[in-house]
Amino acid sequence: MSRFIHFTNITIFLACFLALATGLHSAGGREPATFRIVFIAYENPNQLLENVGPVVDYLEQALNREVRAFVATDYAGVVEALRNRTADVGFMGPLQYIMAHTQAGALPLLGEIYNGKATYVSRIFVRKDSGIKNPEDLRGKSIAFVDPISSSGYMYPLNIFRDAGLLKGPPESFFRRVYFAGGDEQSIRAVYHGFVDAAGIGQYSYNLLRPEERDEVISIAESRTIPSHCLVARKGLASRLTKALTTALLALNEDGEHHHLLKYLYNVDGYVKVEHETYSEVEAIAKAYGFVK
Amino acid sequence: MKGTPPPLYSRRRDRGRGHNPAGRVILRALFLMTAFATPSSVQAHVVPPEEFHPVAESYRRLIFLVNLNPVPWDLVASDVGVISTHLAGIDPAATNKFRTSVEGDLTVLAGRGEAGPPDSRESRAAARRVFTHTTRATAATLLAYLESSKAQLEDHRRARTAADAARQIWAGFEHEVRRSDPSGFMEVGGAWLELTSALGSPGFLDYGSAPPVREEFDAAVGTIRSYILANFGPDYEPDIEGPLLPLPVWSPTYDTEAVIPPKLPPGSNLNKQLPRPRQILNMAERGVDEGDTTLIALGDMAFDSPYIFGDPARSLQISCNTCHNKSITNPGFVVPGLSARAGGVDVSNSFFAPHANNGHADSLDIPDLRGIRFTAPYGRNGRFSSLAEFVRNVIVNEFNGPEPDPTLMDGMIAYMNEFDFLPNPNLQSDGWLVASASAQARRGEEIFHRPFDGMGGKSCASCHIPESNFLDHRRHDIGSVMGSGPHSRDGALDTPTLLSAKYSAPYFHDGSQPTLHDVTQWFNDRFSLGLSDREQHDLTAYVETVSDGIEAYEDTMHTLEAEMEEFSFFLSTFEYLRKIGKGHLNAMTFQTIALEIHAHKWDIQAAAYLPVLNHMAALMEQAVDAQISGDSGAVESLVAEYRQAYEKNADSLK
Repeated sequence: MSRFIHFTNITIFLACFLALATGLHSAGGREPATFRIVFIAYENPNQLLENVGPVVDYLEQALNREVRAFVATDYAGVVEALRNRTADVGFMGPLQYIMAHTQAGALPLLGEIYNGKATYVSRIFVRKDSGIKNPEDLRGKSIAFVDPISSSGYMYPLNIFRDAGLLKGPPESFFRRVYFAGGDEQSIRAVYHGFVDAAGIGQYSYNLLRPEERDEVISIAESRTIPSHCLVARKGLASRLTKALTTALLALNEDGEHHHLLKYLYNVDGYVKVEHETYSEVEAIAKAYGFVK
Repeated sequence: MKGTPPPLYSRRRDRGRGHNPAGRVILRALFLMTAFATPSSVQAHVVPPEEFHPVAESYRRLIFLVNLNPVPWDLVASDVGVISTHLAGIDPAATNKFRTSVEGDLTVLAGRGEAGPPDSRESRAAARRVFTHTTRATAATLLAYLESSKAQLEDHRRARTAADAARQIWAGFEHEVRRSDPSGFMEVGGAWLELTSALGSPGFLDYGSAPPVREEFDAAVGTIRSYILANFGPDYEPDIEGPLLPLPVWSPTYDTEAVIPPKLPPGSNLNKQLPRPRQILNMAERGVDEGDTTLIALGDMAFDSPYIFGDPARSLQISCNTCHNKSITNPGFVVPGLSARAGGVDVSNSFFAPHANNGHADSLDIPDLRGIRFTAPYGRNGRFSSLAEFVRNVIVNEFNGPEPDPTLMDGMIAYMNEFDFLPNPNLQSDGWLVASASAQARRGEEIFHRPFDGMGGKSCASCHIPESNFLDHRRHDIGSVMGSGPHSRDGALDTPTLLSAKYSAPYFHDGSQPTLHDVTQWFNDRFSLGLSDREQHDLTAYVETVSDGIEAYEDTMHTLEAEMEEFSFFLSTFEYLRKIGKGHLNAMTFQTIALEIHAHKWDIQAAAYLPVLNHMAALMEQAVDAQISGDSGAVESLVAEYRQAYEKNADSLK
């Protein structure tokens, strides 16, 4: 086992070195000989790399050049890859995009469509038997969020209370206790078990409860819509390439020979073109929270 | 974070070699994972498996396994190995102690194979010892991860990884603690939340970092550690009486009267297959109005109802339909320790009905019930001459149910007698191939009828008589059963039909043959048939042809609409059962419909109609209460309201 780990580490190093080397030739608007996409993997990077193989092959045809896929294990890795040009495009969440844009001049290309929408919402969940009916009822109660650097797991659900005029200072001025549970499932489960009075999390977190548990938990409020995750290009990537890439990925929306490739791309329903303005509200909220200046 | 970006992992063309970092991404991950489980996506009542840390998973499974009789020691040894390996990675000294304490038992017992040890007293004592030490080792692993997190608190990534591992291992104890010590469960659960929050945040790209809050972290660790040490620490001993369960008996708030519901081990799968197999009911094929077949409707309800069984099957919501989905099979069904392989289960075990345990592991492949009225006798060894005897035994002795009501039994038999084989245009009515069958299949047909010296001059067709639905209604020992001892005479099995068999893999009584061609090869070897490779493929082609059928599966992944229609069919028995004074069967019908609606409601494509389903389920739950309290007027009113709700919304309930 240790030999294997050693070997793979060398492989990673070489891959990064080669990618970096090719990246050095692609500064400015010039077109890189090898096009590099960085994916975010939350479970099994091996599997993800295997899965995106057919997508890579498809894009090589569309872009008429070698395409290489990389996997990062957190968003910082994706943004760093765009910033230091070891990747040309990468997938990330809306808040991460705003930070990547601010710090590294990245630009969004495509937004993902799930369940027919390019947006989603956060919700405030409570136990059905808690007697809590609206956000105001949570004054002096406890709430769990996912992580302080999260659109759907902190910024947007907290904003529900600001929009309602309930929260003007720090969260602790309204809530008795604010927790960061470390994950969507931990947050919704903390509500289900009654460890906290409420959780502010993305809408889909509810489905992490087992079916027989879901009837015990209800939503009492909903946030503004959040743009879904997006594909982001590094600063200075040649516009001819970004156009070819977006055309190729938008073509997957149509029923046809390549439509099935979407299942390898996080199983999205499809893509929609986005611009920086799509994320204006995210940016405004991010500024209010001090994530960007 | 700046300056030290996490590694990137590259997909190299033509190699696809990957790596296995302990990546942890919180934002998009759950969005994507849960996107698949929204009401508007295709779920078709698929319950995802519970996910555990490997230590918790092995511990939960071990709890189930050591309570079986006989104990499947080879599986126990495997799970002990997983826990031991993890413990070794974080506390080598404790690992040595653990290994020494269990290796004696496991070396002796795991080497005896699946038949288990002959001395059950010896086995029970060993199970108790292994459970005791494994509980201590699991707790020790949890505490070691907690200490690791504490020691690395300034390194957020490492501290969080260790804390997450500890919390996930706690899941190994939660099922019992939550039921038997609710106060303790809340205290520890709150402490995990405090602990996670106290870890602070590394921020993102120089923003939002927050240092750990050591005082709060230490306090939370103290709460958790105290509870673990008091209840599952180095001095842990299980109750002398009762099953081997991790009960927190030393907690001051422990409830000695608590009832712990049954729980299947990780790795279990009760989900039904998708796409769903196509069920063919004879009366439906003939265009009979379902409203005219009350007894069949009652049987359909009973077939789908866990309430005809006793515990634990009832609590686990297992019905006939769980294994014989739409009367066919369930190739994905598996319960570790009870299933030798997927699609099979030991139905004479100590878990589902301790009183009828036969004391040895004999997992059977779940049989397809198509055409069952033609296939007597019943049971793999044909020990029941009538279907009613067979069904009663399943209810009472395999799944611990009460003696079934005679009307209910009549209904079940009436329903099962409607199960038809798949139509097969390759066959004439006498079972011979039609002229348009493939040349290979026709060559195989000749082989099928060819007498073989190795089979005493008999052919395949001698037992699988084509003119008689490929049956001879007799039992034969073909050497596929491992007998109880040398020269035992306990290997005879009922000849199975070949009709529709193409869709009920695997094969043989124990599911040991994955494909029909494996069956061909087995017979060729076992009886020295001397078939060439080409002849074997010809014979397989023949069997695949006679076992084929039209539209074996439904053409939709959405099943809610059909389920709702079926519930109305169930309810068509209401007036008849009231008329003959069988109100308790109406109560069972209401209860089954409510349960099934709750189980299937998450499949609905138009989420706006979820409240309608909740309302309909509530009507049925109220009808159960009204029936039990003898308020016939209320029952009638609630049934009418349910029917109206269905009629009004049927087009949207899919």
